[in-house]
Amino acid sequence: MSALEVHDLSKRFPVGAALHRSYVHAVDDVSFELRPGTITALVGESGSGKSTVARLLARLHDASSGSVVFDGGDVTRIRRRRDVLRYRSQVQLIFQDPFASLNPVKTIRHHLERPLRLHGIVPTAEVEARVYELLRTVGLVPPEDIAAKFPHELSGGQRQRVAIARALAVEPKVVLADEPTSMLDVSIRIGILNLMLKLKEEHGLAFLYVTHDLASARYLADDILVMYAGQIVESGPAEDVLADPLHPYTRLLLAAVPEPGAPVERIELRRGLASAAIDPAEGCRFVSRCPLAIERCSQITPRLVEARPARAARCHVTAPEPRG
Amino acid sequence: MTFRAPGWLLLLLRNPKSRIGVAILVFMLVIAAIAPLISVAHPNDFNLLAAGQGPSWHHLFGTTDQGSDIFSQVVVGARRSLLLGAAAGALATGVAAILGVTAAYVGGLVDDGVNFLTNVFLTIPPIPLLVVISGYLKGRGMGTMIVVLAAVLWAFEARILRGQALSLKNRDFIQAAKAAGEPTWRIVFSELMPNMISRIAAAFVLVFYIALLTDSGLEFLGLGDPSKTSWGVILYWAQTNSTVLQGEWWPFFFPGAALALTVLGLVLLLAGIDEVSNPRLRAEKPERRRVLAQLIGGRWVARAEGSV
Amino acid sequence: MTTVVEERIRTATTGRATVLEVRGLAVEYGRVRAVDGVDLAIGEGEIVGLAGESGSGKSTVAAAAMQVLRPPARVAAGSVLFRGEDLVTRSKEELRRHRWRNVSMVFQSAMNALNPVMRVGDQFVDAMRAHERIDRRIALRRAGELLELVGIDARRVRAYPHELSGGMRQRVIIAMALSLNPELVIMDEPTTALDVVVQREILQQIEALKRDFGFAVLFITHDLSLLLEFADRIAIMYAGELVEEAPAHEIAAHARHPYTQGLLQSFPPLRGPLERLTGIPGSPPDLADPPPGCRFHPRCPHCTPGTGALYVRQTTERPALRLVAPQHRVACHLVEEAGA
Repeated sequence: MSALEVHDLSKRFPVGAALHRSYVHAVDDVSFELRPGTITALVGESGSGKSTVARLLARLHDASSGSVVFDGGDVTRIRRRRDVLRYRSQVQLIFQDPFASLNPVKTIRHHLERPLRLHGIVPTAEVEARVYELLRTVGLVPPEDIAAKFPHELSGGQRQRVAIARALAVEPKVVLADEPTSMLDVSIRIGILNLMLKLKEEHGLAFLYVTHDLASARYLADDILVMYAGQIVESGPAEDVLADPLHPYTRLLLAAVPEPGAPVERIELRRGLASAAIDPAEGCRFVSRCPLAIERCSQITPRLVEARPARAARCHVTAPEPRG
Repeated sequence: MTFRAPGWLLLLLRNPKSRIGVAILVFMLVIAAIAPLISVAHPNDFNLLAAGQGPSWHHLFGTTDQGSDIFSQVVVGARRSLLLGAAAGALATGVAAILGVTAAYVGGLVDDGVNFLTNVFLTIPPIPLLVVISGYLKGRGMGTMIVVLAAVLWAFEARILRGQALSLKNRDFIQAAKAAGEPTWRIVFSELMPNMISRIAAAFVLVFYIALLTDSGLEFLGLGDPSKTSWGVILYWAQTNSTVLQGEWWPFFFPGAALALTVLGLVLLLAGIDEVSNPRLRAEKPERRRVLAQLIGGRWVARAEGSV
Repeated sequence: MTTVVEERIRTATTGRATVLEVRGLAVEYGRVRAVDGVDLAIGEGEIVGLAGESGSGKSTVAAAAMQVLRPPARVAAGSVLFRGEDLVTRSKEELRRHRWRNVSMVFQSAMNALNPVMRVGDQFVDAMRAHERIDRRIALRRAGELLELVGIDARRVRAYPHELSGGMRQRVIIAMALSLNPELVIMDEPTTALDVVVQREILQQIEALKRDFGFAVLFITHDLSLLLEFADRIAIMYAGELVEEAPAHEIAAHARHPYTQGLLQSFPPLRGPLERLTGIPGSPPDLADPPPGCRFHPRCPHCTPGTGALYVRQTTERPALRLVAPQHRVACHLVEEAGA
């Protein structure tokens, strides 16, 4: 039973002059599902396309191709304002930068009231009470004081909690969190992560947690999707993937994260960039950095193959397509 | 409830330029407001016995060739001139803001349409257009003048406000409002514009003084309504009656000074608004480069930087 | 104790001469004390990590050490000693010559500080020629060598900054910081804006360069887990004060200050058992009006009314930095009481 299904989602951005039109393949044929009461982590570095996926699901961009199925219908097709509004009340986005996601000239109360009024969540008489209740849910007390403040009067962690409260106001089924803690102080991050865990457990929400931090992905997520250059290169239950990664890129990421106490692994230095491909050719996009690369890798694009139950990877070597 | 307004108002008053500007403007507004109380005589009264007299205690600014008191004329004329300038400014800024910000946010065909419109209005030379229109129009009432001035002056501000809105529209809080399902008009008016107050205020002040000068210029050329009292009209009559040839400088000087003083006040206020709102824009990158240059300590690096 | 005697003791304990020392440093921005009484010494070839969150004052310490504080910030008290000589009293010209040659700095997002209209190589050359007479071509060649050292093809000296990725630009900045072979490089969040893989590459590079050139590093970051891997010694700052200082392995195994312990509790582990972490409740104080006594006490799990005299001390008296184990100093009333 899934809350949201993504099928072959792609997004291409045009670059260059009109005559030599090239396309950046920010997101390429991405498929996954989000289930109620689970947190799915979407892990990747900058340029991997993970934020674009979140924005596509929030309908801040229009998909180039593919479909997003929610509540039985393909969301990429809907045009009627009423339907779009309904979708927006069910799927919410939390942004990375707590300093930019709140309107500096409006009070916190305004930020929380607007979604309540827009979607008619509660009758007008109850709006104020609901605002205070939301603030309490995210741990911002006393709510009367907080509601009257402006964003610049709150700390980064508090602002992010307001952003989460705003997302919760419409009682969504799906919450897309785009690197919600990367701009916060380290000691504050755990608080936000724990809040997300609590909301998942108590409200049965489906979370998509977009991050570049593997450790927090492990802490928070039930399932993990690893993205590289616009494609999903590995997927599966978080604990399994991190304990025994299949794709060489996942292994590279694991080796790169600082882990005090663990033996320091040296990684190979590389020369070159790693980000969304422009007009990508056939072949695996990781081939220039891969220690396992074989000839086939630069000729044929590997497909996402379920190498083990519930574990998939996009690699000719570790997850080859079954013959015959 | 905390009020935001006093915040930037205080900043504005702290800036010496805008302080003087505000003072001048308040002064002019007060004069205009109490004009009926301080004008010694009706501006159109004439008294041939007192014609052509220079400034004196009896007639502070002297008299015209018909004996009308220039002080009263200037003071009463302030009302019309200021009102015209402010109304044209408000109308032009209003149209510029609505069209510019909406075009920036919505993009696509709407943006193309507004851009086309702006371009059309920008390429038309304002003064000749104004001359032609006012020469052609039968009624030269204040309303008509206001609309005509606003029509000529809205375009370049629309472009500027569109630019600022473009830089704001991709900020997260606007995207968040969009993702929450806010309708476009609410985003434009309630989310974007409140964050552009200083630029919109600057636009208003700018158009105000340009309208003031332009209108006075038209009146001076005789294209205004010579039966009404305003600074430009006073100048018109002064010109028509060839007073300078007779060595009478006061019918020119005083309305001209009033005009110049008002414009000065507005220009200073504008400079103050710019200084108040800009520091936050200027902060980031050049600052880091300067720190790096300072760290390296090279005279060469500093020179290459230029502005360090 | 005189400076010379202290220095002998320090050299004897750590086996290194001191390159840079900050003593009793206090920095003010108007009424606010961003740094309030910090003592820190960096020995030759040592990697000293300075960890802290926003408002801890760590970046201000770095700026003070380089004497690049911008008004209204000013050194209110204390001294900054390079090889024993106080920098605060130096003239502008002396400071200019001292900077970059003796101590250089890599600051946060410095990759955006490169002049976008100058080729990378030219910026190197400028930096070098500002400090020594050197032929342009020789300087350019040296620039190429330095780029190779940080893992960038030497031919990229001809590139403009926007042609390089963020990670490469940051490496250029590091290479520039090393161009005059300084004794100390101060790095303020050098890898924060970069991906984790690039971060590790750069840190590996810094380690290799340090082995070859022998410079010391003051590494400032909010990411304690990085320091635990890379630093020799770590100092923790909170609300403008130094609260703990010890060798890295000591901090990892025997952190004493509740703030340090809280910080260590804020990093979800990548391997090993997965348990709910608590982090640290509350947020750093407003430095314009810091809490009385121990600045951490409002957030400290060990500060509760009802503990009598200890609570009184925690809320009225600022704890002093005391030695609790070899090379391990902590500023905490609780630790003091336990030790006493």
